[in-house]
Amino acid sequence: MRAPVKPVLFQRDTGLFNRLMPTATTFFCVFATVVPLHLPGFAVVTPSFVLMAVYHWSIYRPDLLPFVATFAAGLLLDLLNGAPLGISSLVLLLARALVLSQRGVFVGHGFTVVWAGFVGLAAAAVVFEWLIVSLFYGMVLDPRPFVFQAVLTVSTYPVVSYLLVRVQRGLLMRA
Amino acid sequence: MRERAGTVSRLALPVRAAAQRVALPFLIFLSAMLVVLGKADILLFDRARTSVSDALAPVLDAVAQPLGTVAAGVRSVEDLFSVYGENRRLREENQRLLQWQEVARRLETENTELKGLLHFEPQDVHGYITGRVIANSGGAFLRNVLVDVGAREGVERGQAAIAGEGIVGRVAEVGSRAARVLLVTDLNSRIPVVLDSSRDRAVLAGDNTARPRLIYLPSKATVKVGDRIVTSGSGGIFPPGLPVGVVASIDNGLVRVEPYAELSHLEYVRIVDFGLSGVLPQSAIPMPKAPKGARRAPDTEAP
Repeated sequence: MRAPVKPVLFQRDTGLFNRLMPTATTFFCVFATVVPLHLPGFAVVTPSFVLMAVYHWSIYRPDLLPFVATFAAGLLLDLLNGAPLGISSLVLLLARALVLSQRGVFVGHGFTVVWAGFVGLAAAAVVFEWLIVSLFYGMVLDPRPFVFQAVLTVSTYPVVSYLLVRVQRGLLMRA
Repeated sequence: MRERAGTVSRLALPVRAAAQRVALPFLIFLSAMLVVLGKADILLFDRARTSVSDALAPVLDAVAQPLGTVAAGVRSVEDLFSVYGENRRLREENQRLLQWQEVARRLETENTELKGLLHFEPQDVHGYITGRVIANSGGAFLRNVLVDVGAREGVERGQAAIAGEGIVGRVAEVGSRAARVLLVTDLNSRIPVVLDSSRDRAVLAGDNTARPRLIYLPSKATVKVGDRIVTSGSGGIFPPGLPVGVVASIDNGLVRVEPYAELSHLEYVRIVDFGLSGVLPQSAIPMPKAPKGARRAPDTEAP
């Protein structure tokens, strides 16, 4: 049986490939958000895969996902989505800063605690996004799609988290 | 040499940490600036968007194609389970449509005869450009899709996009090989429409829900659930008479329309090439960056 992934703050990594893995998976999540998945229920609103990746890597390998990569992922997402530029970057950067400041709470705990933390983060992110988008358009937007997206994001987190843990294990094996 | 390398690596960690500390406020400020500048509709942003869509269109296309095939496979398995009921429904529908065909044939003959009497000249012949949906915005406040046809294929800003039975939206941005279609459900979508039965004009306004609203409907207008909505052609951008949807609900004067097109499962859309130049004088053809008011063609105003 494999040992569970232990969060490591500073670790010597071998190779550029490993060090780029968190950034690469985050950008992969950008594409997963915009590519038409043709899944029932996912059609209109897709979960924020990028937020999941940012959360995951900020907790387990904060050293490997620089702020610049977070910013760039948000910018690419807005460019591909046709969204006002900067909104996703802003949400993701603040999310990352928030997670980094609270990281000690989650490190060393089981998945339930980490998931609960993500529920909090997703809620905060969606409220912030709703506020800023409402400000941008100068009208109070219907909050329901935002709530729906948050629920979808939280409920699909375990799957994405599992995949990211697989990637991370591969990364540790190589190291 | 060796000593220097050692110094560099000793220095690297604090330097990196300091850079990270500076990076956060700087990047947050940069993002906020982008949001504020974006409010001013800067041309550069539009260009950046179209060039990124253009550059990534082949990648997105390559991913979207197999995913579409998988989805089609899943759907055909689903269809197997409903074959019996579907068959019966189609038989009934066929019966009904045969009757309609009869009516249509009769009307067509009558129409041709009447047109002959009036020396009527056909207004416009439109062509279609079919594109595959290669990306859709998954945000909570965005309803648009990216299609893999662009200026190369003759797509122009403002053209109507249709899928299946009805209108999907209009082309909002055009790159050389990709175009973004703003769906009718988007917050920024406004489409001049007309109630098919009463000929009352209105504007179909998206609000991010699945059913857009009818606004600017005359107060004396009689509207009821099930009324058919088609494009009015006001503004000269859309051809008149394209099917849009049916009135789904009327609640306290708030009229909501159920679009004919299934917007949640778009795989292909057809861009309608209105052939504006044949209908309007050259000066009335909308320029890509013209302000909204200037798009209005004087000779297609509402009577």
